Amino acid sequence: MEAILKRTAQRVHESDDEKLLIEQAQNGDREAFEQLVRRHDRDILRLAFHMLGNREEAREVFQETFLKAYRSLSRFRFESSFYTWVYRIATNVSLDHLRKRQTLKEEISYESDTEMNPDRPALKETLAATTYYSNPERRLYGKEVGEKIREALKTLSEKERLVFELRHYQGLRLKMIGEIMGSTEETAKNYLFRATQKLRAYLTHV
Amino acid sequence: MSCRDYQHQITLLLYDELPESSRVELETHLQSCPNCHDAYESEKAMHSVLAEDAARWSDIPSDLLVESRKGLADKLDRIERNRSRWRLPAFSVVFTPMRLLESVALIAMGLALGVYVSNQRQVIPQVAGNPAQDQISVIPRNGTISNLQVVSADPVTGQVELAGEISQPLRFQGKMEDDTVRSLLFSALRDANNPGSRLKAVEMLAQKPTDESIEEALINALIYDHDAGVRMRAMEGLQRFADEQHVRAAFMHTLENDTDAGIRVKAIDALMARNSRDVELAKSLEAVTKKDDNPYIRSKGLEFVGTAK
Repeated sequence: MEAILKRTAQRVHESDDEKLLIEQAQNGDREAFEQLVRRHDRDILRLAFHMLGNREEAREVFQETFLKAYRSLSRFRFESSFYTWVYRIATNVSLDHLRKRQTLKEEISYESDTEMNPDRPALKETLAATTYYSNPERRLYGKEVGEKIREALKTLSEKERLVFELRHYQGLRLKMIGEIMGSTEETAKNYLFRATQKLRAYLTHV
Repeated sequence: MSCRDYQHQITLLLYDELPESSRVELETHLQSCPNCHDAYESEKAMHSVLAEDAARWSDIPSDLLVESRKGLADKLDRIERNRSRWRLPAFSVVFTPMRLLESVALIAMGLALGVYVSNQRQVIPQVAGNPAQDQISVIPRNGTISNLQVVSADPVTGQVELAGEISQPLRFQGKMEDDTVRSLLFSALRDANNPGSRLKAVEMLAQKPTDESIEEALINALIYDHDAGVRMRAMEGLQRFADEQHVRAAFMHTLENDTDAGIRVKAIDALMARNSRDVELAKSLEAVTKKDDNPYIRSKGLEFVGTAK
């Protein structure tokens, strides 16, 4: 998490020459566009990979996001940072994929083992044992916890999921999340609160 | 403030999003309110578990990043090619209203005379002007047209502009030193349906793996190709670089995941030969090999730990 926050701080310092790169890319400089992509593509891929849960769709979201950015870069008016703008595209594309998947009633196929173990102890007990990862014998058990968290995330509404994803897994500040959503920090706070309440309710009752 | 308000703030406190003044007030309240204190402990425990989960997702697989970047670059190349190559203004003078009438009349006459008109496609030579745009105005006899779009159509003047893509059979000869040859071999290794073609491509590339892009293509083939022969050849091409970090990572991945025992044996042999003093690698390797169902690989894993000490 600290690494993510560090990267966020680094991005602020990079914003000065970013404007120049954007202008060059708007004038058709492919190299400049690729430099912009390289600055943010790890974050976008991490978002897509976690939101969609599988490599194939993560790759599709990644490519779709930057192709959309490439095609609409001429309309970028510097009203937000490039980072916020690209994140906004990526979250919309990710949500579109999740919606399509829901329409098709496809199961989310996370790459981890999805076999259920009926003999598994209640997660409530695990939550109490906050140091379970320190014990190597329980690492496998931690994998099962991960699966339960994936299931819990599915119970969130679209916006709750989005805010939780961006704050918890991507490490963005709520102020920026508000901007990405085209809303306010206060709204983002409310969604984060609702998301954590739902997750707590789900995870302590399985 | 109500307890619900304070509990709302607990979430913000755990995410380090609570202003200092509110934080002090909340902490004071937590000391005096057992219900809110319980809620805090419970949420803190959940937060800790979720933080562990986030840590597991903080690194993305480097091969996925490589694949995604490559896919994006290919698509951008394609967009740029389409922009510059496939405008066909040459069609613009073909379909004027008068010509349409003439055509209809000719067809009627032809039918009446029993003459079969075999080819009504008219192609006008490229309009002179800007050769730098590299426009193609003659449709090759063996070409296949796809993604055809009507860019503009003016019913008054009858002018039409079309754009699309043409693909046609390719035959290319050259030496490995030629960038185009290498680039085509990369495509063949990645996209050819025929494993025999992929094997020939990997054999050529494995001869000169010193080039970074060739090395990357070989790593991709080693990890993703469905054909064991192709993977084996890629492994052979890479084995002398088994002390380089990314090649080592690819070999470890192979050792852990490849279904072909012969390839796994090659992987462990190469890793041991090139990293004989690396204790950390030996430990990781032992952890991976002790689960292997192949006794040779298991014994090699143990042997490596012994010799690396």
